[in-house]
Amino acid sequence: MLSLFQNVQWLLAAGDSAHGGDHGGDAHAALAIEGLWFYIGLVVLISFGLMVMAKKEFGQRFFRTRISQYAEQLYIFIENLVVGIIGAHGRKYMPMIMTFWIVIFISNCVALFFPTSPTADLSFNLGMALIAVGYVQYEGMRANGVLGHFSHFAGPKMGLALIPINGMIFIIEIISETMKNVSLSLRLYGNIDGGHRAAVAMNELGEGANIPVGAFLLPVKLLTCVVQALIFCLLFCVYISLVTHHDHEEGHGHDHADDHGHDPVPATA
Amino acid sequence: MLPIALGMAALGCGIGLGLIGFAAMQGMARQPEAIGKMQTAMLIALAFVELVFLLTVFVGAGAFKG
Repeated sequence: MLSLFQNVQWLLAAGDSAHGGDHGGDAHAALAIEGLWFYIGLVVLISFGLMVMAKKEFGQRFFRTRISQYAEQLYIFIENLVVGIIGAHGRKYMPMIMTFWIVIFISNCVALFFPTSPTADLSFNLGMALIAVGYVQYEGMRANGVLGHFSHFAGPKMGLALIPINGMIFIIEIISETMKNVSLSLRLYGNIDGGHRAAVAMNELGEGANIPVGAFLLPVKLLTCVVQALIFCLLFCVYISLVTHHDHEEGHGHDHADDHGHDPVPATA
Repeated sequence: MLPIALGMAALGCGIGLGLIGFAAMQGMARQPEAIGKMQTAMLIALAFVELVFLLTVFVGAGAFKG
């Protein structure tokens, strides 16, 4: 409760140099561990509340309340995207992807009403990225076997004389796999925290005239909220489709969208 | 020196994003039935270009400051 009051106070003082300071300042105080847990609790509370309200009509013939209808539309929208990227077997990854979407979207939206949010903190994003990439490894091992999954990293079979090349490819692929964590987390963190910094900078612009210029940035930030949640899920889908695609499927339009531009891993040779 | 460097990074990022938007808009105008697929691919490409700029701002600028 105390931290809530502190955060409300900080919200009132947000026009000052709350975020903008280069070292220390209130931004770091709010992102201390209690602040982070406060915001995570808030996100959990909101998302569970929404889900309970959406689940109330579960099993009925028609969804009559608005939240259930919105939740259904959202689910169908995401499912279409997922099936478009992964293929028909992507439906079994829907719970994971939907969870990521809800968590990221709600924590982004918390930043519209509160001074900061979990996704404006690098540790939360890194945790989510570790879960995502770890799950991708798990799915890859389940689809290709442990040995098959790791032999994917070594590139195509090129004969006995070129084994050193395969070793080098293996090292590079392992590095690129590790950098997926960094890229996923840093993208989300940079977008959300950068939005905050931009709002604070614009608030300083209108400080003399007492106009909250940064508030006009809110529509853009709302767009960023949706797009960033979507991008996290899309990249998660792309990573999954890279490790689990099969031969009998056609139309891998998105397989080349990998982070570092190397060739897509060939289907089990 | 840092503002100029950041401005140059923003310039490159802007050019990249503009190219992606340009190509995607053109493709959508020519084939309106493929809008869904194009939007997905466009978003992914936008994310990659944006990441470079974010790396510049958050990692590069932090390293520059010391």
